[in-house]
Amino acid sequence: MRLTLQMLISHGRVARKMGLGPQSRINMLRNILTGLVRHERIETTWARADEVRFYAEKLIDYAKKGDTDEKAMKMASFWLTEKDLVPKLFKVLAPRFETQSNSYTRMARLPNRQNLDRAKMAVLEYKGNPFPPLYPVKKENELTLINQLLRGYREDRAKQLAAKA
Amino acid sequence: MATRSVCLFLQRRFASAAAAVRPPPSEVRSQRNAIFSREQARQRALYPRIEKIEVSMQGPGLDGTLLIMNKGMSTPLSCARHLTEHHVNNSVLALVDGELWPLHQPLTHSCTLTLLTFKDSDPTLVNQAYWRSCSALLGQVLETAFKDEYTVDLLNTPEVPVTSGAFCCDVVLDSQLDSWTASEEALRSLTRGAQQLIHQDLAWEPLEVMPSVALEVFSHSSVKQEEVEQKAADSPKGTVLLYRCGDHVLLSGGPLVARTGLCSQYEVTALHSLGEGPRGLHRRAQGLSLPLQLQAHHTVWRKLRKRAEKLIEVPRSEATPTSPADSTQPTTTQ
Repeated sequence: MRLTLQMLISHGRVARKMGLGPQSRINMLRNILTGLVRHERIETTWARADEVRFYAEKLIDYAKKGDTDEKAMKMASFWLTEKDLVPKLFKVLAPRFETQSNSYTRMARLPNRQNLDRAKMAVLEYKGNPFPPLYPVKKENELTLINQLLRGYREDRAKQLAAKA
Repeated sequence: MATRSVCLFLQRRFASAAAAVRPPPSEVRSQRNAIFSREQARQRALYPRIEKIEVSMQGPGLDGTLLIMNKGMSTPLSCARHLTEHHVNNSVLALVDGELWPLHQPLTHSCTLTLLTFKDSDPTLVNQAYWRSCSALLGQVLETAFKDEYTVDLLNTPEVPVTSGAFCCDVVLDSQLDSWTASEEALRSLTRGAQQLIHQDLAWEPLEVMPSVALEVFSHSSVKQEEVEQKAADSPKGTVLLYRCGDHVLLSGGPLVARTGLCSQYEVTALHSLGEGPRGLHRRAQGLSLPLQLQAHHTVWRKLRKRAEKLIEVPRSEATPTSPADSTQPTTTQ
């Protein structure tokens, strides 16, 4: 399987190297994911957010199997370091995404950190959270003047086509 | 031939029965203007002392705003000037205690005030007012577009819904112009006349007057006098609403928007003839316009414009209620 040249060269090692080693990386991602499940919107460096995103989506997929499923329970108790979040995962997040089959999270760029390292920052959130939206909501109003004119135009067209047929 | 000329002569005599000889249009205009200014000054003089009223604003981000304004002097526009430039530029109409109020009409009592824009959640009333103002503007253009020797009589403008695709303005031109049809260049020059008025950004100044004053304003036009009497009989207060835009005084069936500069795309699309009426050949001018805040892409505009060229059928208000009653009867018998 070859998607890009970079993928070919990497020999399948697509995950980032972060922290002090593989174990450290997993622990770091666990902590970030626990924070994400607790607050539903977190701010972190872009690379970490991008890395956590995959696990955050996967965790919801497992949670959708229900809290009686052994594998799902094992995954939840591994990835959530604070155990009071396990009921929240199964009772709140899993029912919220019942209708969706993918893309449960949303990620957006933030300005670089004003710190010495100027790290690329990002915000990661679960969709459907109670916070104000990240992007301005586009307002659709059928009653504005131009939309009313276009509605009249469409109705006219439909009538003409019906008369022709 | 002789009989025809006599007929024409008689027709002319009757058409201008109120004033035996019609003065040139510029004189008529200045006279109407003078009467309007006089009445406006009289109404302003009704409040010699400056008294204060409390206006509480309503709207997004304005809840709890209380303005102390001058009675009979401050308009909703002056309230908007106390807020932000956005409110001044985007307000179209005002809602005073739940009823529509022109933006240039002075406030007379303590009230709650909402400023309406084109982008409100329910802009139906604003759209209607905009359509009405566009047809008023079209009437103004038609009245000034022809040479002084041709008379132009504006008829009662029918109210058309926005979904019909174009606003219209009924007009009777001079009988010498009966064989004339509007070419594309003529329509374009009318459009340019309207664009000039829009560019001048003139305010539509409202004035609510008693019918006697309105009759005096329109003393040279029998068509308008009949319309004034009809409107006065229809309105509950017995008054009629006059508007002035630049030097043109017009009679309106409802509130108009604040100023001509709110229109941005404006085009006169067609001039249809409706056939012979009691006063001569009736014509219906049609146009299409969109406000500055809601502009259309040129492809969309071209489609809407093409639709606006078709003649609009104005629905008869008497005929519509009977047809549903007829259609329901068979269903009940079955």
